[in-house]
Amino acid sequence: MKIKLNGKEREAMPGESILELCKRENVPIPTFCYHQAFGGQGACRMCMVEVREEGQKEARLAAACTYLLNREAEVITESDRIQRIRRTIVMLLKRRAAGDPILKELADAYAAPDLEAVVTEPENCILCGLCIHACEEMGKSAIWSMFRGIDKRIATPYDEASDDCIGCAACARICPTHAISMEEKDSKRIIWNKSFELVACRRCGKEYATREEIEYLKERSDYGQENLCESCRKKTLAITVKNYI
Amino acid sequence: MQIDVNEYKHENEYKELIENYAGKPESLLAIMQDIQKQYNYLPRLAISLISRHVGIPVSRVYAMASFYKAFSLTPKGRFVFRVCDGTACHIKNSETLLDQLQKSLGIKPGETTTDGMYSVETVNCLGACALAPVMVVNGKVYGKVSPGDLEGIIKEYGGQNHGYDNQGS
Repeated sequence: MKIKLNGKEREAMPGESILELCKRENVPIPTFCYHQAFGGQGACRMCMVEVREEGQKEARLAAACTYLLNREAEVITESDRIQRIRRTIVMLLKRRAAGDPILKELADAYAAPDLEAVVTEPENCILCGLCIHACEEMGKSAIWSMFRGIDKRIATPYDEASDDCIGCAACARICPTHAISMEEKDSKRIIWNKSFELVACRRCGKEYATREEIEYLKERSDYGQENLCESCRKKTLAITVKNYI
Repeated sequence: MQIDVNEYKHENEYKELIENYAGKPESLLAIMQDIQKQYNYLPRLAISLISRHVGIPVSRVYAMASFYKAFSLTPKGRFVFRVCDGTACHIKNSETLLDQLQKSLGIKPGETTTDGMYSVETVNCLGACALAPVMVVNGKVYGKVSPGDLEGIIKEYGGQNHGYDNQGS
């Protein structure tokens, strides 16, 4: 299927999103809420592009991450119209996450006007929902978006330590604006108002996961049986393979 | 999750209400409505029982409870004063009514007196704008309320009009 991407003819797979095509073709598009593990969410609206499908008169604005290509189309990723809409989006996102360096950079790049910052909880959260996805994918769903409208925020029920949270920090790691606070000291990790004991790697001694996470993973898979951190696991596997050869 | 010990006294009642419905995700809203209707709020224990019954994580049940105005996460008083703060009522000084209620009962909108007697809430519009400002107390409508009328209305519901502290939760 032929797609005219910024004037150049490119081949797209049917059902592929515009963003996936652009990533493959190395056409840069700013994103916050997109992660390849979950696909597009259309939440942050940073990836707006212009699309004109076959038979349509005018190009329309669409979020590249959720727009699936099913017929021949023309896609433009940079134009005055897109600049304008991205400027507005950056301006609004930066209002929530004024402390985030990537948003600062984008605000400069798009010459976005400065609005008075609002304090969000967690700080710098743009409500993209990636953390909810990550936690759900872990099979835990300890956090979700609570309340609504201007009060909407990501939290655990009652803002208390959740029975479901295993302290795996998948939420904090995937957060594009580093909004989820996590503290690690004295072999303890504190996240979402809950304290976890950190377990050291049997080989290198690096503290790599919480006790609860390891127990949980042992239940679900073979992973974690050997109490090794990620890099030591790779090393031992490499040695095993080498000896085998 | 800490659950108030008093809620365990009602555990079987909660379960009875919950088990009227199939243990499927689509039962969630109906169960929550029944519990809310019966107890005027969603007790923590009930939320965790509902979560287990329908197979939806506690976080999502809580999210839903926090999303809809029809649900309350904290116990409501026996008498709920709903003051309309829609456009017409707002212009007709509904805010003065709220101020007066705060003076009389010691609670702001969204709060409940410590003795569990009264709650004050605002609603966006009751659809009775000709009667602005409107207030509804447990289903009974009071139209064209003046701050002076409030004392009498509170007395109707057994209020002494003073003596409440500001510790409403």
